[in-house]
Amino acid sequence: MNVPTEHLLILAAVLFSLGALGFLLRRNLIVILASVELMLNAANLTFLAGARAHSSVGPLNLDGPIFALFVILVAACEAALGLALVIAFYRQKQSVDIEAAAELRG
Amino acid sequence: MITLATLAQAPSALEQSFQDVFTGGATAALMPFMALAVGALLMLLVDIIKGAEMLRPVVVVASLATAIVTAWCQVSEPAMQVLGGTYGVSPASAIFTLIFCIGALFAWIYGLGYYEGRLRQFSGEYDMLLLSAPAGMILMVGAGDLLVFFIGLEILSLPLYALSAFRRNRTDSVEAGLKYFLLGAFAAAFFLFGTALVYTATGTLNIGELASMFQGEVARSPIALVGGALLMAGIFFKVSVFPFHLWVPDVYQGSPTPITTLMATGTKAAAFGFLVPATFLLPPAATGIIAAMALLTMAAGNLGALVQTNVKRMLAYSGIAHAGTVMLLMAGILASGGSDEVRSESVNATLFYMAAYLFTSTGAFGLLAMLEREGEQMITLQGLRGLGRRRPAVAAAMTVFMLSLGGIPATGGFFGKFMVFMVLVEQKMIAVAVLGALLSVIALGYYLRIIVTMWMQPLAEGEADRQAPSTLPASVVTGVCAAGVLFMGLMPGWFIGLLG
Repeated sequence: MNVPTEHLLILAAVLFSLGALGFLLRRNLIVILASVELMLNAANLTFLAGARAHSSVGPLNLDGPIFALFVILVAACEAALGLALVIAFYRQKQSVDIEAAAELRG
Repeated sequence: MITLATLAQAPSALEQSFQDVFTGGATAALMPFMALAVGALLMLLVDIIKGAEMLRPVVVVASLATAIVTAWCQVSEPAMQVLGGTYGVSPASAIFTLIFCIGALFAWIYGLGYYEGRLRQFSGEYDMLLLSAPAGMILMVGAGDLLVFFIGLEILSLPLYALSAFRRNRTDSVEAGLKYFLLGAFAAAFFLFGTALVYTATGTLNIGELASMFQGEVARSPIALVGGALLMAGIFFKVSVFPFHLWVPDVYQGSPTPITTLMATGTKAAAFGFLVPATFLLPPAATGIIAAMALLTMAAGNLGALVQTNVKRMLAYSGIAHAGTVMLLMAGILASGGSDEVRSESVNATLFYMAAYLFTSTGAFGLLAMLEREGEQMITLQGLRGLGRRRPAVAAAMTVFMLSLGGIPATGGFFGKFMVFMVLVEQKMIAVAVLGALLSVIALGYYLRIIVTMWMQPLAEGEADRQAPSTLPASVVTGVCAAGVLFMGLMPGWFIGLLG
């Protein structure tokens, strides 16, 4: 079965939009972190779709898959740091609601 | 189609390219980066050895000094590409490297003694993170490949997220770190999705190849256009361009002030070090949008600053306005149709602007760090009253920084602005240049207010007259910054000579 590249790109765009909407609309910090992960994985899907499309017409193009591996690595680092920050935040506010982060404004 | 047979051929090709790629030139080109990376790793090692605390400052200063010296040697060398075109050094990237390393050194010195109590125990981690951030900036400006750029962006961003939340017993610091992290991760996702689309449209990640491909048919494919725009939007977050600037005041205000100095100067310089040469990713039709965004950024920064009474927050808004000024260069490049001449002129203007801004902004935020340490948690405009009488040297240095931020002649800030507006005028963008200049004049409103408050308004009756002495290293750095601002303003030819 051969899925056309356009379909993969549309799926990636939908995933990315869902992630972006989740980031902007949800108030729970954990869900916001998960939304960012969704956006990163939409990018990964695009990289793999692009690599497949280029490899099928020309020489093997491994740039995309390698980039995707690095994105997975960076996503892990971001998740670790993000959760650490959420824990530090929770210790102070007893809440993981983004609305609780309202001290700095003006 | 990818088959197992093609994959099986890959290893031999890889082996071949490894031998071609790791040449002697690569080591020399990567020296500043490696000095910082080795220093950061060494710091983790030093931190776990009992009784080796004394070595921490040695490691920080040694690795930053090595990076500065090796970058200085690269300034006079011709540009070259190493590691199969994924990394490059040029006189411009070497000067950017100097800006980052000097900025990190200043930030580190301002941080000495800034942190209190329990946080002192974590200075090993602090120093390690502070060495990693400039290493990431160096990768960003040297990157010949979007993957290397992305790795650099993350090596820069992740340590800064942690550092801005470093005072984790304070609610404002943690909140700043959290906001910075969330918006940074959001921006990184935009950058990545844009990169992925550009890759899908072109099949390459090499910035040089992309530049030539975007001259042709590829640039008109919708995937490449959307990808280029999303990629740029991701970086616009980092440099706080309107409408992606709202996080800046909160993050700058909540972060420890020594870290704010590095965020304000280094991050901005690194992002523009990429953006200005990479303007080709945008279509020429975007000239008007980019110019409008730059002017709106200046307006948002300057109008936001006018109503602030917290000086740190005011300087954060001023940083937004400066980002808008440098962004005008991108409009200039687009208007010229991406000519190489205008691009190199713009890179030079960016370098001058950022070098002057390094001294100005580091000095201004650093002075706030010094004042904060003397017992005041938040420096308000009121708190600066009578500073001219109490601490004439401090007030004089602050005056120099404010004049330079405002772009008054005889300071580095003036020539930075001058070079930006020259590029615009050469491209016949007179209206944009005039609007930009007018917006800069608004900025004088709040810069001069700080000067007037310091020198003309006396201390209120009964207000405590603090006379706490400043530490020597921080005072020396402030003096160097003030001298640097004046030197770049009075003898700009020396720096322009460096640019070649």
